[in-house]
Amino acid sequence: MSAHPFTLEPVEWAAWLPTVDAATATPEQLAALDKSPPQARSSPYFLTLAHDVAALDQRSPLFNAVMYAPRGLKRSDRELSTVVTSIINGCVYCASVHARRFAELTKHPEIIQALFDQGLGAQLDPRLRAIVDFSAKLTRTPNEMTPADLAPLREAGLTELDIHDLIHAVAMFANANRLMLSLGEPVL
Amino acid sequence: MTQDVIDSAAGIHPGSPVAALRAERPLFVQHSQGSYDVLIRPADAGGVSQTMRAAVALRVAVLNAYAPLIAQYTHRLHEIGVEPSVIVAVEAGRTPDLPRLNAVLHHVDRVTKAPDTAEKQHLDALLTTGLSPRDIVAISQIIAFVSYQVRVAAGLRLMAHRA
Repeated sequence: MSAHPFTLEPVEWAAWLPTVDAATATPEQLAALDKSPPQARSSPYFLTLAHDVAALDQRSPLFNAVMYAPRGLKRSDRELSTVVTSIINGCVYCASVHARRFAELTKHPEIIQALFDQGLGAQLDPRLRAIVDFSAKLTRTPNEMTPADLAPLREAGLTELDIHDLIHAVAMFANANRLMLSLGEPVL
Repeated sequence: MTQDVIDSAAGIHPGSPVAALRAERPLFVQHSQGSYDVLIRPADAGGVSQTMRAAVALRVAVLNAYAPLIAQYTHRLHEIGVEPSVIVAVEAGRTPDLPRLNAVLHHVDRVTKAPDTAEKQHLDALLTTGLSPRDIVAISQIIAFVSYQVRVAAGLRLMAHRA
């Protein structure tokens, strides 16, 4: 894991395939891009995904719902779980983006910095420890999960909806990390 | 209407507490199913056949050793009419008689198990087999979707176990 230069600094991303040109994109491609983050029309990542417009048109609303749906798991907890997944999968770009969102929401960049510097075993309060451990196991060995894995989350006070949301945030980054890592590369 | 592909993979029954929880997140349900529909059963498959789509999905399920999805995608391959010998080869990750599918499955293994070892040359190699950028993005989205589906299903299955 130490081979990856995880950072709280912004990172760029470069595409490996020719990207869709927003100037000549179809109306369907533009509509799907506009369901994606605000800068998607100029993002090499989203302009790569726009090649399969039907898939992007489903994935962007799914991603937005999983990360931003109201109530349920705290937004900063969702961000933390995606950073854990991104560290394990080695996605420097994803880790940077979501580390900064966590830091903005919590004002505690040192929590993420500790995970980057010391690994996932870094000292954490019991609530964050439970979230990190569950996220790491679901990322690494989804087929080895047991009902006992839920106990620390419930003891830390997470509701059933919180846990439902946590599962989806981790799963969404099993997805996002693989797209980011296999269609281009971070530019540090 | 086809059965929901998360409910079936997670063993969630109508009227159960986890089903009620899912109903609180309608966009998760709608776009998880929508992603499955456009990736695994698209009206316009482009250059990635229905067989290749289901084969990629099956291989991701096998690499994650997640039995409910291995069953789901094996069933899909049978439904399309793929020969049993080919299905066995896909499960094993090697289809020597089908060179393009073989190359794609090799890519699936890398991106599923060690995504940070992917390199540009791997996509260049797929382009030389005749796949287009759109086809490669579709294959990448299928790998990514089933990686998501395995974890949602495995996680929700735990919740459904609650006494």
